Amino acid sequence: MTPLPFEGVGAEEHLRIEVRTTPDRVVLELHGELDLLGAPLLQKQIDETDVDARGILVLDLQGLQFIDSAGLRVILAAHESARQRGQEFALTRGGNQVQRLLSVAGVDERLRIIASPDDVLV
Amino acid sequence: MHEQTARKEDPVGVNVHTDGGVAMALLLEAGAVLSSSLDPSTTMGQVAELTVPRLADLCVIDLLDRDGSIRDVAVAASRPGLAESLETLRFEHPLDPASEHPVAQVIRSGEPMLLEQMSNALLTSFAQGSKHARFMIAHGYRSAIVAPLVARGRTLGALSALRLGESPPYESSDLGLACELAHRAALAIDNARLYSDLKRVQLAESFMSEASRVLASSLDYGETLQRVARLAVPIVASWCAVDVLNENGDIERVAIHHPDPEMVALAERLNRDYSLSRDDPTGAPEVIRTGEARIYTDIPPDALADYARDNEHLRLLAAIGATAVIIVPMIGADRITGAITLISSGQGRRLSAEDLPLAERLARRAGTAVENARLYTERSRIAHTLQQALLPASLPALPGAQVRARYRAAGELNEVGGDFYDVFEAGGEAWMLVIGDVCGKGPRAAGATALARHTLRAAALSGQSPTRMLNMLHRALQTQPADADLCTVCLVRFQRSEETAHLRVALAGHPPPLLIDKDGESRQLGKPGTLLGVLDPIEVHEVSEEIGPGQTLLLYTDGVPEARHGDELLGEDGLRRLCHPAPKLSLDGLLDHIERGALAHAGGSLRDDLALLALRLDKTTE
Repeated sequence: MTPLPFEGVGAEEHLRIEVRTTPDRVVLELHGELDLLGAPLLQKQIDETDVDARGILVLDLQGLQFIDSAGLRVILAAHESARQRGQEFALTRGGNQVQRLLSVAGVDERLRIIASPDDVLV
Repeated sequence: MHEQTARKEDPVGVNVHTDGGVAMALLLEAGAVLSSSLDPSTTMGQVAELTVPRLADLCVIDLLDRDGSIRDVAVAASRPGLAESLETLRFEHPLDPASEHPVAQVIRSGEPMLLEQMSNALLTSFAQGSKHARFMIAHGYRSAIVAPLVARGRTLGALSALRLGESPPYESSDLGLACELAHRAALAIDNARLYSDLKRVQLAESFMSEASRVLASSLDYGETLQRVARLAVPIVASWCAVDVLNENGDIERVAIHHPDPEMVALAERLNRDYSLSRDDPTGAPEVIRTGEARIYTDIPPDALADYARDNEHLRLLAAIGATAVIIVPMIGADRITGAITLISSGQGRRLSAEDLPLAERLARRAGTAVENARLYTERSRIAHTLQQALLPASLPALPGAQVRARYRAAGELNEVGGDFYDVFEAGGEAWMLVIGDVCGKGPRAAGATALARHTLRAAALSGQSPTRMLNMLHRALQTQPADADLCTVCLVRFQRSEETAHLRVALAGHPPPLLIDKDGESRQLGKPGTLLGVLDPIEVHEVSEEIGPGQTLLLYTDGVPEARHGDELLGEDGLRRLCHPAPKLSLDGLLDHIERGALAHAGGSLRDDLALLALRLDKTTE
């Protein structure tokens, strides 16, 4: 009975994730919105993907339009588990709102941000 | 239906020579009756009445039900009381469709029967038991014609005309008239059935679509069931009652409807004085126990008397005037939640077995709606209570300043939100203004919200600086069992000085507060710091500011700038625009304006909670 906030739009359409593996990294490409509805999808994708198959995990946010604290929580959790595994973790910049939220949350300077998902980590 | 003359296949033509006047009058009257109504039971009653006494001393019309049983739908007799006695007898001893009873034979063969002289031996041979035999002999069954009711090649039932006692026996010349009458009655029944099938389908479709709309529009449990009852009357039935199993497992009448308020009062009296008990062997309690629908399409007076607990009960039941009753179970997610009783009465549309699927669909739909409404009511009650516990009941009075707050939970998601605010004394004539956002919703977020408020209060009491307070909360969040609970906080320490007040702002992943000037322009205060609970160590900064008379300090949560419709966010700029009229508005007026503006921007439905906390110095300072 409780209507979803976005009528007629499934979580899948709301957030789309593409997984790509290159010789040195696993890249999760995010499109759409990473919020209360999309966050569990990203978590599921991370749980199901062999993210530690390579030395680097990259979340590509260039196609991401919106993020909220629920989305940020999943990203920070991924960052933390990568750190514990001894894996490198990096992000690309998202849309304006995504950049603003990361900045307000005070995490943009704490995470490794790269211009393009295939950039060499320095 | 212009078949006034005998049809070719008729075994015998209408005998216009002997009974010409009677036959013609009867057929004309029957024609009028049969075309006047589309309700078969009413029509058949009138046809039976017409034949008595001109054609028969006793007339019985039997119909073949869809389940193959034979049911008398109309009985008329010249002798007082005979029709009623026969109805009772037939109820107790239904006709066996496979028996040698003339009605059963005619329905099987589709051919009329003339029994000119019936001996006691013959009557006994086809009687449905000895009581039936004694009944026929005692009432002097003498001569009979049984004519099939045939329409579109199908036998629908039979019309029996009987002569009793000393009346002259039937002759073959009477057969034609009886057959003609039966044929017309059959056409009327067939038409009525086709019509009622059509109406039933139309009714079911429109009713269910309306029912679905009504049931989906309300989340109030009691109201939902009232609507169900009102919806069913008078379209489907004359009466509709809804009984539910309450928390104690007792049966509770939650709705009853009839178009006449006096009748509703009567039913309420019935329910009050003779309320249903969960152990009642029949009726709604039985249906609730078994989960099986019950249908009563024939309610003889005796059955009512057996059911009644006393004379007054019988009187009230009789006043209800039921002609048919359907009781269907309401089934929720995994259990029976109650029962819906539909009753047809008086001249209203009579319920039949064909209405059962509709009633069951309605009950299923209502059952689901009730379950949802119950869950919703329970959830919102808990959420409301919890939310109240997480926010201060009232804000304290600050020296020389007013403080106001607003909180609005997101849209229809009636869960506890993660936004919180607080205002409390921090010692040394300083006060602390807090606004924050715990990630997520529901019980876990509520737990973290409570932790945040209490940790910050405790830290302030021990005289900690804003930075230390935030660090303490960060540690507290990290020791929580749940992984990655994150929380953003904006702290403002407030200390009154001569004309102004000194502010100290610390941000932990939270949007910066706004200081709105006398001209309505605003600027952000503070410097971004790390959100709490995840990244270690956190980095926060304290920034000092002054607030003077006429200026307004505004703390807010993400729900405000992120109010959006489609892709368009209200944004920081939108929020600043909403702050422009601040100098002309009271503090309450300003918060109302911002709240309304954010809501309007979100198209009336917020996706995230929204909290606002504002402070303004009093105009006159002491």
